[in-house]
Amino acid sequence: MVSNSNINNVKTKTIGEIFSKDPKIICRNVDVFYGEKQAIKDVSIDIASREIISFIGPSGCGKSTFLRCLNRMNDTIDTCKVKGSISLDKEDIYDEKIDVVTLRAKIGMVFQKPNPFPKSIYENVAYGPKIHGLSSSKEELDFIVENSLKDSGLWEEVKDRLQSPGTGLSGGQQQRLCIARAIAVSPEIILMDEPCSALDPIATAKIEELINQLGKNYSIVIVTHSMQQAARISQRTAYFHLGELIEVGETKKIFTMPKDKQTEAYISGRIG
Amino acid sequence: MNKNNSKMLTADEASKIVASSVIRRRKKDARLKTYGRIAIGLAVSFLIFLFVSIFSKGIPGFFQYYVTLDVYLDRDRLDPKGDLSPESLYNGDARSIVLESLYKVINPKGRKEKKAAKKIISSNADVRISKMVLDNSKILGKTISITFAVDDDIDSFLRGYIKRETPSSERRINDTVIKFVDKLSAENRISYKFSDYILTGSASRSPEIAGIKGAFIGSMLTLAVCFIIAFPLGVATAVYLEEFAPKNRITEIIEVNINNLAAVPSVVFGILGLAIFIGVFGMPRSIPLLGGMVLALMTLPTIIISSRAAIRAVPPSIKDAAYGIGASKLQTIFHHVLPLAMPGMLTGTIIGMAQALGETAPLLMIGMVAFIVDIPGGVTDPGTVLPVQIFMWADFAERMFIQKTSSAIIVLLVFLIFMNAAAVILRKKLERRW
Repeated sequence: MVSNSNINNVKTKTIGEIFSKDPKIICRNVDVFYGEKQAIKDVSIDIASREIISFIGPSGCGKSTFLRCLNRMNDTIDTCKVKGSISLDKEDIYDEKIDVVTLRAKIGMVFQKPNPFPKSIYENVAYGPKIHGLSSSKEELDFIVENSLKDSGLWEEVKDRLQSPGTGLSGGQQQRLCIARAIAVSPEIILMDEPCSALDPIATAKIEELINQLGKNYSIVIVTHSMQQAARISQRTAYFHLGELIEVGETKKIFTMPKDKQTEAYISGRIG
Repeated sequence: MNKNNSKMLTADEASKIVASSVIRRRKKDARLKTYGRIAIGLAVSFLIFLFVSIFSKGIPGFFQYYVTLDVYLDRDRLDPKGDLSPESLYNGDARSIVLESLYKVINPKGRKEKKAAKKIISSNADVRISKMVLDNSKILGKTISITFAVDDDIDSFLRGYIKRETPSSERRINDTVIKFVDKLSAENRISYKFSDYILTGSASRSPEIAGIKGAFIGSMLTLAVCFIIAFPLGVATAVYLEEFAPKNRITEIIEVNINNLAAVPSVVFGILGLAIFIGVFGMPRSIPLLGGMVLALMTLPTIIISSRAAIRAVPPSIKDAAYGIGASKLQTIFHHVLPLAMPGMLTGTIIGMAQALGETAPLLMIGMVAFIVDIPGGVTDPGTVLPVQIFMWADFAERMFIQKTSSAIIVLLVFLIFMNAAAVILRKKLERRW
């Protein structure tokens, strides 16, 4: 447990409001190393319940690395070491007692490139509930699959071909299938790592609409290269630069009146 | 700035230089193409030469000469005990019954001529009669015409390998025998047809009745043992090395050594098998179980290397997807990595098996070269394998074994082509695109 007295008493260089009233995830002084190289330097930030927050910044600034710390996807990289504390509902997720499987069931993830399993559409969505034992009967599983596909806006397009391969869908549909797969396990938070970078504008618009919808029920952390996208969909925006969290704040404020010079330079197109 | 007064070329000058160099470059391209074609042409012609030579020798090996005789199947002499048991038939007088019917045709006079006549028919003739009687006892007491394989020397004579013109003292068969054979051909009793023995017989010193069935079944049993041992071990090793092993000195050394093992001469594995399986564990020699174990040692590196490559070829995005949804390591491997890697693993395994099928040297070391007439009924019965059978036949002096050797090679090649085709089909069928 992280005690309440000192979580809001943290030294940070970050400009803006890193705290939230109703924090879901609390990150304090997070450092990430790849071997000798430090990829993230002293990042502290809160992520609130049911908020959409976007991470922006130039390539290689560490925003994806930081995102992957939140559900411990970095565990799969041997040389990666995480210091500092990240807690979900005030429980340290890097604690030895935390099982990474249960953590990832709570924090879903959508990747940059749509990566459906080379299985049927149904199997893709049903896989998560199956391995976690979330359904006790075929009917329940069918219900979960249908609901998840409806929530991801894919149901109408695929309801007649649930048994055809997920890899046969278009890029945008595949990405929505991946979102359906993530929400099928009823997570609390969804991490999205540039979910629209491989998609055309129409598919992107659909995904953005979907993210807006999902924001009502889930906390969503989205990494994006498109500042317009960040401006369109997120309530808060965090600007990363060279592994440091430079500025956090309400999206409107960040884009209209950035307090930091680097943020301003990036937003106006001078860095990046 | 430029110190040596050179300046940028104009577009005109540049394009002239490019045009002149293009001709030179094109010529080089053409030359390389020609070399490539010559190389392929040579390789293909060697292959054609090999196939023509094997098939021209081997196809006749599937056929042989037979002599047809009218045999009176005397009940009392064939079956002295009268109970139709194999022992009774074995004790019977089939050999002399066959010879008597032969004498009726060629009328040999005196002991010398009779001795010569005996050489005409294969020593296997009595077994053939016993088998016929065992299959159908109603033929006893009747006179029926039966075809018998001729002795290998007569076969070679009929094929023209032993020449009439050669002086009698330098021939393997004398003039009397040739006279009898001429008489038999004159009466249309000699026939040339598909061999009864090559595919269904087993090892024998008499080439006319030698076949590859024993060796073929030995090969199948050996390969089955090899697969059962090598495939699970190889896949498990590959999965551990790729997914679980920490990247440190020790795993590096293991990796290097596995790669080296793939290049170790196969005879070394034979010696290893001899020393450990026979020497330490005291396993009986010449059995397919032992052969399979030795070949498994040999194929393991191949399987491990190809399985690792197949696992590595699984896109990391699929693993990310599985981990991202909360699958454990085991679930990720068994639900996603292995099914996607399976075609590659199986291809590597079949190629390893094909290699094992053609292997001779390590099996010689563990005694699978023994002369075994019985067809092995299980992995613990002594047996031999196809390549070793080929090796043995190639070593025998009788002329007829040359064709038999080529015939066995054809069977082995067909088997190999079949296995490689299976690998291709399997890969095509299981391959999934993502």
